[in-house]
This record gives sequence, C-alpha cells and structure tokens, in this order.
Amino acid sequence: MVTKTEETQLNELENQVENGGGGVWEYLCLVRKLKVRRSEIVLKHGLSILNDPGKRSALGPDEWTLYEQVAIAAMDCQSLAVAQNCIKVLQKKFPESKRVGKQEALLLEAKGMWEEAEKAYTSLLEDNPLDQVIHKRKVAMAKSQGKPSLAIEHLNKYLEVFMADHDAWRELAEIYVSLQMYKQAAFCYEELILTQPTLPLYHLAYADVLYTIGGLENLVAARKYYAATIDLTGGKSTRALLGICLCGSAIAQLSKGRNKEDKDMAAPELQSLAATALEKEYKQKAPAKLNLLTSALRSLKIS
Amino acid sequence: MAEDLVLDTAIRDWVLIPLSVVMVLIGILRYFVSKLMRSSPTPDAKMVKEGQVIIRARSLKFGANFIPPRSFRTRRSYFSNEENGLLHVPKGEGSNPQAQMFSDPNMAMDMMKKNLSMIIPQTLTFAFVNFFFSGFVAAKIPFPLTQRFRSMLQNGIDLSTVDVSYVSSRSWYFLNLFGLRGLFSLILGDENAIDDTQRMMQMGGFGFDASKSLSAEKDGLDILQHEWALPRFEQRAESVLRKLVK
Repeated sequence: MVTKTEETQLNELENQVENGGGGVWEYLCLVRKLKVRRSEIVLKHGLSILNDPGKRSALGPDEWTLYEQVAIAAMDCQSLAVAQNCIKVLQKKFPESKRVGKQEALLLEAKGMWEEAEKAYTSLLEDNPLDQVIHKRKVAMAKSQGKPSLAIEHLNKYLEVFMADHDAWRELAEIYVSLQMYKQAAFCYEELILTQPTLPLYHLAYADVLYTIGGLENLVAARKYYAATIDLTGGKSTRALLGICLCGSAIAQLSKGRNKEDKDMAAPELQSLAATALEKEYKQKAPAKLNLLTSALRSLKIS
Repeated sequence: MAEDLVLDTAIRDWVLIPLSVVMVLIGILRYFVSKLMRSSPTPDAKMVKEGQVIIRARSLKFGANFIPPRSFRTRRSYFSNEENGLLHVPKGEGSNPQAQMFSDPNMAMDMMKKNLSMIIPQTLTFAFVNFFFSGFVAAKIPFPLTQRFRSMLQNGIDLSTVDVSYVSSRSWYFLNLFGLRGLFSLILGDENAIDDTQRMMQMGGFGFDASKSLSAEKDGLDILQHEWALPRFEQRAESVLRKLVK
C-alpha cells in the first residue's frame, strides 16, 4: 500500500513532469517502485526518453528496465505497436530470457489471443512452477475472459501454496462477492482482517458481507464490525454509519418476537448516535439530500 | 611499565596499509567469485508452502481476537488437526535436518562451496600475515589491556616485558577481519556488506528447519484463548460518535 508521504511525493513529481519540468526519470523510478498504475503518463514520457538516443544512453543499464516499463504501459493503453517494438528490442538484447518471455505472453494477452497466451504461460510455468506473477496473470486472463469460476479455481490453487498473499485473498473475496457466494467471501475477508486488523476497509467489507448474508447472529456481528470501522476511521465513514442504522433496524425486525434481553445491547445508543452523526455530515456535505436522509432514517426507526 | 616505544613510520606504510588493502581486495574478489559460483536457488514448493503456512499461522495468532469465535475455532482445527492439519508434523517424519542436508546433493554442494570460499582465503591470508609480517611490533592500541591478551596479540614478539598495548600484525589482521564490514557496504552496495563474522554465523545455521517452527506455531495456537474484541469496539464507536456529534 502506498503511504501518504509517498503519494504526495508522487503527485508532486507528476505535476512537475506534466508541466514540462524535469525529473522524468525520478518519476518513472517512483512509479516502478510503488507499482502504481499511471500508464498514460509513463508511456508519454518514457517514450520521449527512449526515442532520444542521447537521453537513452545516459540511462546505462537501466535502459532495459525502462523498455520493460514502457512496454507494459503501452499495453495498458492499447498502443500495441509501441509495445511490440519495445519487446522486439528487449528480445534482441536478451534472447531466451524468462522475463522477456513474460512480456511476450503479456502482449499476446493484450492482443486478445487467449489460447496462445495460455500456452505461453503454461510453458513458462513448467520452467518455474513457483513464479507468483505468472500465476496471477492466469487468474487475470480467466477473469477478463469472463470465466470467474475458472479464475476462482486458479486462485484457490495459487493460495494453497502462497497462503500469505493478502492481495490474492482480496481478489478472491471480490470475485466471490460478484458471484454472490457470500459465505466464501466472508471467509476471505476474515483472512484479510487477520493479516491487517487495523485497516478499516476490511472490517467494512466484512460487515457488508455479513449484513448481506442475513440472519440474527450475522446481523449482530455485522453491527459490531461497522462499529469497529467507525472506531478505526474516527467516525468519518458514512457507509459504516448507515450500516449501523440498517443493522439496528434489521435486528429489531428480526427479534420482534424474542426476549429483549437476548439482544446484545452493549451499546444501546449507538444507533441514534449514528443517525445524528449522519445528519450532521449530510448537512455539511450534501444539504440538498438531507430530506431524503431524514425520511429514510425515520422509516427505519419506525419499522 | 609504561615505556613509550617509538614505532617507525615505515611500519605504517609497509605493514598496516598494505595488509588492509590486501584484505579489502580479497573480500571484493570473494564477493565476485561467490556471485559467479552461486547456483540460483530453486525453491522447493514444499518449503515455500511451509514458509507461507507459518506466516499465516502467525497472523492467525496475532489477529485472533478480531474474528468471530467460530471462525477462529475452524481455522485453528484446520491448522492443528491431528490427522491432516497443516501444522501437524508426524513424529517419525520430523525431519532430521542433518540427514536431509547430506542426502540432498545440491544442498551439500552449496554448503561446501560456501564453506570453502570462506576458509581458503582466511587460511591463506593468515599464513601470508604470519610469514611476512611477524616478529615485530606493528601498532599500539590506544587503551590498556590485561595480560591475558598477550598470547593472542603479541604472537611474534618474544619479550614478556613489552606492554600489552603493543601488538603484532596478527592482531591487525584480526581487527580488519572483524571491522571491514562498513567499508564493504560502501564499496559493494548496502546489501552485500557481509564480512567474515557474519559469514561464520551463517555457517552455523543450517538450512531452514521448518518442522520445529511448525510445531512451535502449533503449540502457540493450541494454547491461545480466543477473546472476541469486537464488543469492545461497539462501546468505543459510541464514544467516538458522541464526541463527533457534540
């Protein structure tokens, strides 16, 4: 994850580069280090360096890394000819290289030639069965071909070996949610919460999934996780505030016939406080919609 | 006895500096040779998986209080189940790292290469120092030492009355041996700054003994009591909101 200082640094450099100042090479290095996706800018400025033989030779051995970076950026912007040229140059310099092989397979993928790309990746995997990037590319291919079940299968196999890769867990969770397999998605989000318990994003997503699954126990748990998100974000997460109100009303509905003492009322005022906080926020940020909000909240409380 | 011996500056020019230069050059040479000779380690799939399992089990231990009790119990049994739990190492199989070391020819070769690349230059340099630079006082250590160090530091000097602070060139060799790490980090780039002491420590630690860490993690998980932290969060959220709303 990119930290705040790195983000500001990146934005500064980006402004500088876009407005004609120098510092293109530092910008490109930073983008590469942080693995952010700024393909248009990288393509434009990277190409300007590569096409200028003076600047290119000034880079020395980093020239090839730049070719690789520009090739990927070109594929992202669908300038396949540019990508092809860069890869040709790399191939001439490093024949038989696995890294260049990956780039070629990526180009096949970008062109939409799925079977060839699949074959290329499989052969690369034979040489190096523990290459994480190739596994992830296969998953991405399955996803972009619109075969989420195949993607899930690949991801599960990947995670059997590399079970500490939390990006992979996140991807799996999102695919499950898109397929409405909420129980599995909940499992994935639990894994994510385990690895990074202070990140409110995962608590929020987990709470959403729990709320969607439904059932009294899950609703109570969802409420707790919304509360955790509020705590971790200092009350600024509108979604969590709304989540608490919705949970509260859903729980009230479900437990109408039951004993009031069964309910876990550790924080009885939470719902009303959340409603007040919501109203305050809407007053500040979207006063036009305040009426909608108050009427919605009123209907929730009534039911 | 605090007589002050006056040491010839020629000693500094022809002993101390050349010796340091030679050791630095040998270090650099060793670095390049090891880079050439190093076979790219093909990580075993099983070892990678074990490493990742350990990481996951560890994060389970740390984050256990953030997930509902049922999920925690499911995960814990997944890990420490007697038959097919991930962390469970059956008694017989608890791999003897030594045996594995010698049965796996690749690893044995690697180990030998590493050892050789360290022992040979050390032996050679030591013999070199002894041959060329023995029999005279090389330097004076600025702080006083006890008599016990005499045998180590004053090897070629056969006078027992000389102050222990005056040392022979063998001690300069040892000093360089332990101290050139900073110089190597400047010359070779920060990651390659291992000098001989660290390499000696690396010699001792044989391969990654996964089975012990696995059983350690399993024990850690077994004794863990799950205390769901989320109810506390509800109250904290309440207070946060109360402050916000005021």
